[in-house]
Amino acid sequence: MNEILAFVGRPFTVMSVGAGRLFLLFWETLKMTFVPPFRFRLFIKQIEFIGVNSLSVIILTGSFTGMVFAFQSYIGFSKFGAEYLVGTVVTLGMARELGPVLSAIMVAARAGSAITAEIGTMKVTEQIDALSSLAVDPVQYLCVPRILAGIFVMPLLNAIAVFCGTVGGVFVGVYILGINKTLYLDNMYRYIDLSDFMNGMIKSVVFGLLVTLVGCYKGYYTSGGAEGVGKATTESVVLACILILVFDYILTAFMF
Amino acid sequence: MEFAIELKDVHKSFGEYKIHKGIDIQVRKNAITYIIGPSGTGKSVLLKQMCGLMPPTKGDVLVDGKSIVGLKGKELLDIRKKFGILFQNAALFDSMTVFENVAFPLVEHTKLTKKQIHDIVIEKLRLVGLRDVEKKMPSELSGGMRKRVGLARAIALEPQIILYDEPTTGLDPIMCDVVDNLIHDTQKELDITSVVISHDIDSALKIADYMAMLYDGKVVLFGTPDEFKSTDNPYVRQFLSASMEGPIKVI
Repeated sequence: MNEILAFVGRPFTVMSVGAGRLFLLFWETLKMTFVPPFRFRLFIKQIEFIGVNSLSVIILTGSFTGMVFAFQSYIGFSKFGAEYLVGTVVTLGMARELGPVLSAIMVAARAGSAITAEIGTMKVTEQIDALSSLAVDPVQYLCVPRILAGIFVMPLLNAIAVFCGTVGGVFVGVYILGINKTLYLDNMYRYIDLSDFMNGMIKSVVFGLLVTLVGCYKGYYTSGGAEGVGKATTESVVLACILILVFDYILTAFMF
Repeated sequence: MEFAIELKDVHKSFGEYKIHKGIDIQVRKNAITYIIGPSGTGKSVLLKQMCGLMPPTKGDVLVDGKSIVGLKGKELLDIRKKFGILFQNAALFDSMTVFENVAFPLVEHTKLTKKQIHDIVIEKLRLVGLRDVEKKMPSELSGGMRKRVGLARAIALEPQIILYDEPTTGLDPIMCDVVDNLIHDTQKELDITSVVISHDIDSALKIADYMAMLYDGKVVLFGTPDEFKSTDNPYVRQFLSASMEGPIKVI
């Protein structure tokens, strides 16, 4: 009987310990953000790593999603002769949903995993202890610049993804499927306003925080040598993706 | 104040597992103290408790007569500036060059100019017997050289206490001797307190001023190398003679 209870209970204890640690790291980072020294150079370096180096991936993801979305929605709308609404749906979907979620997942796969691998390796080779022993707070040195950079660049990457998706939609809709250009664009402008974009931007800020926070957290609690680093990296991407989707629902429900 | 570090009845557990069951060690100033014992007796854990990297479960740790248990934030960081630590695998920052590694504590904690930092880094590297390695990455260095760079980084801020975590583990016999001499010379040169964690009994008997042996979470014997050589304590005798026979359980 005890074994059954332990089997059922274990995932919950593991999950609550994880959630607790994640939140404590968030709290610690928040506190250390406002304590000098402010590491501006590290922040800029992370912006380059998380943001600039993700550009090509984001541009590709954004444009192809927009293009596919245009094809797929055309099938539905053409059935009742409303092809001219394809642009509206593509841009609306990109701005409110696909832009933020897909760019966040791409960043989790590219930068989140790298953050975990780097901090995890530092952890298992005692480099984090070395930082502490040199009287440098590891959370402030490693986590704060990464998380701030994540919060800062994610909305920018989202804006680029939405733009590329919209252009991709126009390309497929107008030039391949032959929808009237004026109708396509007019309807796009008429039914979409700034609040749709802001909605996605708010999501992006939250996702940027989640991806980098999870990356730092999984790295910070790595143990068990090279194998442990590999495991932590995988877990980091999986956890970040799950949290992105869960928080996407919560945020959508709140801002509906 | 006669003692640099005092451990008072230190207990440490990880979950159910008790690794330290009441340890009392007094580390004298300006001397080399070796802490020896079989693998897995928590020597490294003890070292981390000495400098506040890990809190004891019970008991007290005094540095310069002041308790460091329960310190947080800036106070703890200030305590750590008194220490230089040489980690087991040197723990050099592998994204930085040798120069940047040694300069790191100086850049972080001093307002020295670039020229001054450069001079100090070169001087510290000379002190550990290294030349023309400043631009190399840690991955390009041999194990012995990494340890020396690690030591150069540890002494960059001129700490009062240096902690060595298994400095000779994984080195060939000649390199071991070089590192032993390095510990000895650093001690003489800088007139500081050294604590060495090791299971290398020969090094300990050669250069230690005081020795403590750990077994089963307690200090078996604390004394000078001569006292260790002449003791009839069965644990110490077994460890010194590197024998399987005796009270220390091998498996």
